[in-house]
This record gives sequence, C-alpha cells and structure tokens, in this order.
Amino acid sequence: MPRGMRDFRARIRDHRDYGPGLFAISCEAAELAASVRPGQFAMLGVENRITPYLRRAFSIADIEPERGAVEFLIKTVGSGTRCLEELPAGAEISVLAPLGNAFNTQEVGKGDRVAIVAGGVGIAPFPILLRELSRRGAVADLFFGGRTSGDLAYLAKISAMVTGVEHDCTDDGSLGFRGRVTDLFAARLAEGATYRRIYACGPTPMFKALARVLPKGAEAEFSTEAPMGCGFGVCLACVLPAPRGGYVVSCKDGPILPPQEIDWSRC
Amino acid sequence: MQGWPDPAAARDRLEPLLNRLATTIGPLSLRNPIATASGTFGYGLEFSGVVDLARLGGIFTKGLSLRPHEGNPPPRICETPAGMLNAIGLQNIGVEEFLRDRLPKLRDAGATVFANVWGDEEDDYVEVVQGLEGASGLAGIELNISCPNVSHGGMLFGNSPEATFSLVSKVRRASRMPLVVKLSPNAPDIVESARAARRGGADVLSLVNTFVGMAIDTETARPRISFGTGGLSGPAIRPLAVRMVFQIHRAMPEVPLWGIGGISGLSDVVEFLLAGASAVQVGTANFRDPGVSERLVGELDRYCEERGIAAADLVGKAH
Repeated sequence: MPRGMRDFRARIRDHRDYGPGLFAISCEAAELAASVRPGQFAMLGVENRITPYLRRAFSIADIEPERGAVEFLIKTVGSGTRCLEELPAGAEISVLAPLGNAFNTQEVGKGDRVAIVAGGVGIAPFPILLRELSRRGAVADLFFGGRTSGDLAYLAKISAMVTGVEHDCTDDGSLGFRGRVTDLFAARLAEGATYRRIYACGPTPMFKALARVLPKGAEAEFSTEAPMGCGFGVCLACVLPAPRGGYVVSCKDGPILPPQEIDWSRC
Repeated sequence: MQGWPDPAAARDRLEPLLNRLATTIGPLSLRNPIATASGTFGYGLEFSGVVDLARLGGIFTKGLSLRPHEGNPPPRICETPAGMLNAIGLQNIGVEEFLRDRLPKLRDAGATVFANVWGDEEDDYVEVVQGLEGASGLAGIELNISCPNVSHGGMLFGNSPEATFSLVSKVRRASRMPLVVKLSPNAPDIVESARAARRGGADVLSLVNTFVGMAIDTETARPRISFGTGGLSGPAIRPLAVRMVFQIHRAMPEVPLWGIGGISGLSDVVEFLLAGASAVQVGTANFRDPGVSERLVGELDRYCEERGIAAADLVGKAH
C-alpha cells in the first residue's frame, strides 16, 4: 500500500472553467495538502454511483497549504470526468491519495536550469512542481503545446509561476509557435540549451517523440499515464512495456519514470 | 446452595452469539463469510495499511502459475456500465516468490490465505499445486479453470464438464489441501460444470469468474482492450451470478458454494447467502473502495446482531 495513502471525502471549494471540457476543482483536503509531493496523484470518484464504477486518476496539480486545499486540472474525456465536471462547489468527492512516486527534485538547486515539457492536460502536475523548483532556487523553462489555444487555457494560472522562459505552441498556430512541442523543445536544444533535468507529461506520441530528441545522458522524468483501475498496484491494468520484456506498473512503479525504463517502440 | 455460574458453561452459551459470523464451508472453518476475490486483492499485503487481513474470512491470491507470468499488453481494462472489462492475462510472480516472500508475511498478518492457481496444461496445475502442498499459512487452493484472458488453459478447462472433471480429479489426487474450484459462467451449463467439479473431488465451488465480453471504441473501430475480449465484472453481473448460485444450490444443496459477482455492499452479501452461498468473495469493488471487505464484515455482524441470527442462518433461505 502506498505510504500515507488515505481514502476520504473532500468538499469541492471551487470549480473553475478553463473553456469547454477543461476545468479545475479545488478541494478541502488539509492533510493531503500538507503531505503530498509534486508528481503524486489521486483517484477521484463520485460516491454512490454505480456507473462509472471505478475512480479516475488525476495528478495533483497544485496545493494551497495555508487554505488546506488541493487542486486538480481535469479534461472531460468520458463518463468519469463528465460526472466530476457536473459537480458544483460544495459537493463532495471521494479521494484516494496520495498515490505513486514523486518527481525527483533532489540535487536541483540554486542556479540550476530545468525544462518542463507539457502536452495538453499534461500540464496538470506542474504548478506544484514549479512551486517546489522555485523554492529550491532553480529556474524552469516551460514548453507547453496543444492542438489549439483552448488546450493552453491553464496558462492563465501557470504563466505567472514560470521562473524561466515560456515557450507555447499549437498544432493550428492559434497560440505561439505553430507545430509540436517536441519540435520546439528540440530546436532549443539544437541552439545549445542545456538542462539539469527535464520533466515531461503529455500523451504517448509526445513522450515517444521526446524520448527520441533527448540528449544522451539527459536526466529526464516522465509523468506516465495508462488506464488505471485501482491506483495502488493491485489490478495491474496500467502497465507500460519495459525494455527487457515484461512491464512496469505506472501507478506503483511510477507514475514518474525515466524514459529509458519504458520500451517506447511497444507503446 | 446456588453457586456462581460456571464460566465455561457461560462461555459456551455466549460463543455462538459472539461468533455469529463464524462460517463452515466444506472442510473449512472461517472467521466470517467475507473473503476477497482472486485478481482483485493482489497478494493481500498491498491492502495491509487499509484492511486488517486477520479480520477477513479469507483472501484469494492473484492467480499463480509455476513460473512468473507477464500478462497481456495494454490497454488491459476498460470501464463498462456498472462494471469493467479486464484482460490482465494472469500477470503474477509465480509460486516460488509467493512462497518465499508473500506467504510468510501473510501468515504473520494472521490472514486466511487461499492460493488461486492456473496453468496451460493439466500437468502445470498439478505442479503448481504440488509446489504449494502443505505450505505453512495456506488454508487451501482455488483452482482457476475459468480465466477468459489467456490463450491456453484457463477457461478451456472450465467450459466442458469432461475437461473440468479430468483436471479436478488429477489435482485432487495430487493434493490433500482443501480444494475450491472456481467455475466459469461461460460454460454452457453451470450446473453440469458444478457436478463435474464435484465428481472430480472439489470440496467447495466458487462462482462466478468473469463473463466474456467486449467493448469497441467507436472512434477507432477497434476493441477497447488489446486482447479483444475481456472478462466482465462488477455490479453488472450480479444478477447473473446470483442466479447461478441459486441454480446450483437448488440442484445440489449439499455442495458448499462461495458466491462471487459484483458485491459492493451489505445487501449484495446477504443476497448471495440467501441464494445458497455459504460465503462470498468481494472482487472488483476492492479497486474502487480498498477498505470495503473489512467494512462489510462489520456491517454483516451488525445486520445479524440486529436480527438475532447467525450469518449461517441466511444460507439458502431464498429457496
């Protein structure tokens, strides 16, 4: 069982829309806010529903320890996320957290430059990480891509938290550079940018492209995702192929994994 | 002269009331009728921070094979109305690691452990069972003849009475441990399946495993899990499972049954007992609600207390 994991109810304090199908909920969860580490996640569910039956996994996006609040950024993709979207402030959700491991921020300190590469709702785990990096005195460049400007609406919150340079891009050119975030990132590397560590979260095609452009020996950490049943290593649904055969279990071995621990050719 | 009441006699009178959940199922005596189903509870230890394993009637391990098995490629699950499809493919650590690393810890935790076992061929089952024979801390074996998510073995043994009989009798000859046989609801006739397992020497029958199902992604026009088909579990299957328990109990009231299928709450437990199960296994609910099994023990205890009955009084009452 993940250390410190608790199963509890939390009241939604506010529900903020970031455009169609993208929203953030802030929940009252003082104990979690005080103990969670950047990169960890929670399983969220709506009580007394038989459909959807399982909870859904979400990165813990941000914390406000002084208010005892935890924020989740959610994109509506199916029945589980839709029923969370419909909940008004004041409603309760069931929370299983904290789950999984955390981004490694050890040895990242004053004067270090790191990169954050995010695709779409893959921006979710980074506000809390940006706070930690900032506390450590590191400078973080953000590379953030989406299909259209709407996918980047969370910039309204996160832009102010970026301590380095913000690079935005969209597939349709509606915001920032027109093209893929991995191309944008590769271009910066080609110009000579170097990073102490690279943190990434996004869809599988983004991870695959990023794994290809990472400099040899780069220290990178990917916040992985796969359809999860339980979130604590029991159902064995959320597996990712490992390089020497077999699988890693995203929820238990990760979700934060170095890209070399995954066989991207089998993803 | 009137003496003080004899403490031993008083205890004998009280014991049945205090132990209103004590359950006998075939050769087994359980603390209570609430167990956790194979494949939904890992090796038990994963739940040790949330559930007191010693308070459960039993735990059934992830399906064990002789050697570790890596399972199917992802995606392995998808959600369906009131349930889920899975094709994990029996990923497991193998008998050796189970015996070396997991079973001693389970024993220390006071758990009543049943090893769920499977193989590709009859001889594989026999070897697994022989490997587990007499292991300290093991209460019994559950033979998985009903997994729909492997290309060999598994469900093939559960879908014909002849194959079921042949396998169960072979395993029976190889083991003196209490033998539970987990039936496939995909068999053409569940009662025939039950008869065959009993004839082969099963002490207890557990039912049901998952129903073979499928979900197709309407965007990609491909099955939503990589194996194509998967096993359906969760509340969606409960009425089907209750019916099968009822049918077998009606046909063979003397056969001890372990009911499984979509149990999420107290009334579901009671429903299976009324249908004829002596005990139940909680499955998919463990994924969404890891503390559910132990909570159900408490809830069933209060239910029985309020009615002044023992859990065993409920068994088969719907007939």
